[in-house]
Amino acid sequence: MAPDPHAPLLQVRGLTARYGHVRALEATDLTVDRGELVAILGPNGAGKSTLLRAILGLVANTGEVRSEGVVLPRADPVAVASAGIVLVPEGRGIFGPMTVAENLRLGAYRVRDRREVERRLARTFELFPRLSERLGQTAGSMSGGEQQMVAIGRALMADPKVLLLDEPSLGLAPRVTAEILETLRRLNQSGLSVVLVEQKAPLALELAVRVHLLSLGRTVAVISPDQVKSHDELARYYFA
Amino acid sequence: MTQADLVLQSLVSGLGIGCVYGLIGIGFCVIYNASGIVNFAQGAFVMLGGMITHVLLVRYHVPYALAAFVAVVAVAAVGVVLERLVVRPLWMRKAPVFVMILATLAAQIVIERVTFLLVDDQPKTLPVFLDWPPIMLGRVAINYQSLFIIAGSLAIVGALALFFKVTLTGKAMRACAIDREAALLQAIPVSTMLALAFALSAGLGAVAGILLTPTQYTAFNVGVPFAISGFIAAIIGGFGRPFGAFVGGLALGLVQSIAILWLGAGLKSAAALSVLLLFLFVRPAGIFGAAK
Ligand SMILES: Nc1ncnc2c1ncn2[C@@H]1O[C@H](COP(=O)(O)OP(=O)(O)OP(=O)(O)O)[C@@H](O)[C@H]1O
Ligand SMILES: [Mg+2]
Repeated sequence: MAPDPHAPLLQVRGLTARYGHVRALEATDLTVDRGELVAILGPNGAGKSTLLRAILGLVANTGEVRSEGVVLPRADPVAVASAGIVLVPEGRGIFGPMTVAENLRLGAYRVRDRREVERRLARTFELFPRLSERLGQTAGSMSGGEQQMVAIGRALMADPKVLLLDEPSLGLAPRVTAEILETLRRLNQSGLSVVLVEQKAPLALELAVRVHLLSLGRTVAVISPDQVKSHDELARYYFA
Repeated sequence: MTQADLVLQSLVSGLGIGCVYGLIGIGFCVIYNASGIVNFAQGAFVMLGGMITHVLLVRYHVPYALAAFVAVVAVAAVGVVLERLVVRPLWMRKAPVFVMILATLAAQIVIERVTFLLVDDQPKTLPVFLDWPPIMLGRVAINYQSLFIIAGSLAIVGALALFFKVTLTGKAMRACAIDREAALLQAIPVSTMLALAFALSAGLGAVAGILLTPTQYTAFNVGVPFAISGFIAAIIGGFGRPFGAFVGGLALGLVQSIAILWLGAGLKSAAALSVLLLFLFVRPAGIFGAAK
């Protein structure tokens, strides 16, 4: 099926995921249009990571995931990633023993054209100048914030249609988190579509056009960021 | 010959056989890193390398170099078939690792038996690559085949190091070994890398068999002892570290040759297994520490 340029970049319908007999995600919908940043909030164990992993096909799941109208297979992460749905997983998933340069190069694994790789590298260094100074360093020896930059930089090397980020601020100092989120804002403003899972709700709300609230594997509400802030109970729940 | 000459002579031959153990050990590591599986059919690759070359050379009068080349390619193909037919179906069903290891042992036996039926049970040898008189270092004779084994192994280890360090495919294979899921997220076709690992290991095993057969012999049943030696080499080097395995192979070859000299050939395997036990007791992570 040919891609439909008017269909959403990512459209998830009735996605259900399970670990063995435990259902961790129930019939979830999610739509991301061009240039949108959608935030996913919810308490620990709500199923946020499971949602992202199910979209990629990393956990057993049923339902429908489309990109530009094209149905993506449900158990083939390579195919989903190749379609431009790129996940920066919880814990970053960098290749620790390899150098920064190698990590970045592998992000563009499917690209064999040297000049295209160079172009993408240049764009990545514009966002993360620090990476260009550390190309020969083993990624695992970098600070947490730098490792997150490697992870996001590597994902950008794939030239994603939709960038999925699972708690990029996890374990980072506030100042480093702010730096990372500022980069995300710039990326989003330049037109990149993003799905952002965050525990630190206030940070995510500043960037999002829509917020999905997850609880116990279900979407309990899809609202605008303002609604979250003005909703007393939610505010207490998520900002406590 | 003086005792010192004998020792030196043993060490030279030990170095040669050690290189071969090292190559087999690397084969174990490459597959283990890609999959977590210890492939006990590794010895079958060694046997097939020598055997296929022998059959092409002696029965079909194919030129030696071409026969060796065809043998390496054919054995690499056997490696891929093994991965597709035996390992992948189990992998897809998320079978426990030990089941897959047992399956490779079964494959070893099948390959052994099929070779027995297609060829016979007689030991076969190959001519030395160069029929020149040995080089004399004092009273120590170094035959050219030993030099071929050592030089050939070093060249292969060097090429392998370059492959993993420089090529994108090599980097992708390393990435799969480090974090398979993260590799998937970079759209690296992990299952293709697994097949490639089997092809690479099988090709390495075949080369080891071809290098070694002129100084020893090959027969349908030589695979298991070779697999055990390569496995020990990998343990000594720290399982999952290809270049550690090569060093481990050298160490094992040297210890074994000295053991043959002082204790007699009958205790060769006992010496190898003693080295294994020693490492398992004293330093289970090997000289360089296990990769995972
Ligand atoms: N590998 C697993 N095996 C079994 N259950 C799992 C597994 N991973 C997650 N779960 C369960 O699935 C549910 C959702 O987990 P998930 O990791 O998606 O939550 P989350 O919203 O990302 O939480 P957090 O904010 O802590 O990252 C939880 O109940 C969790 O215990
Ligand atoms: Mg999570």
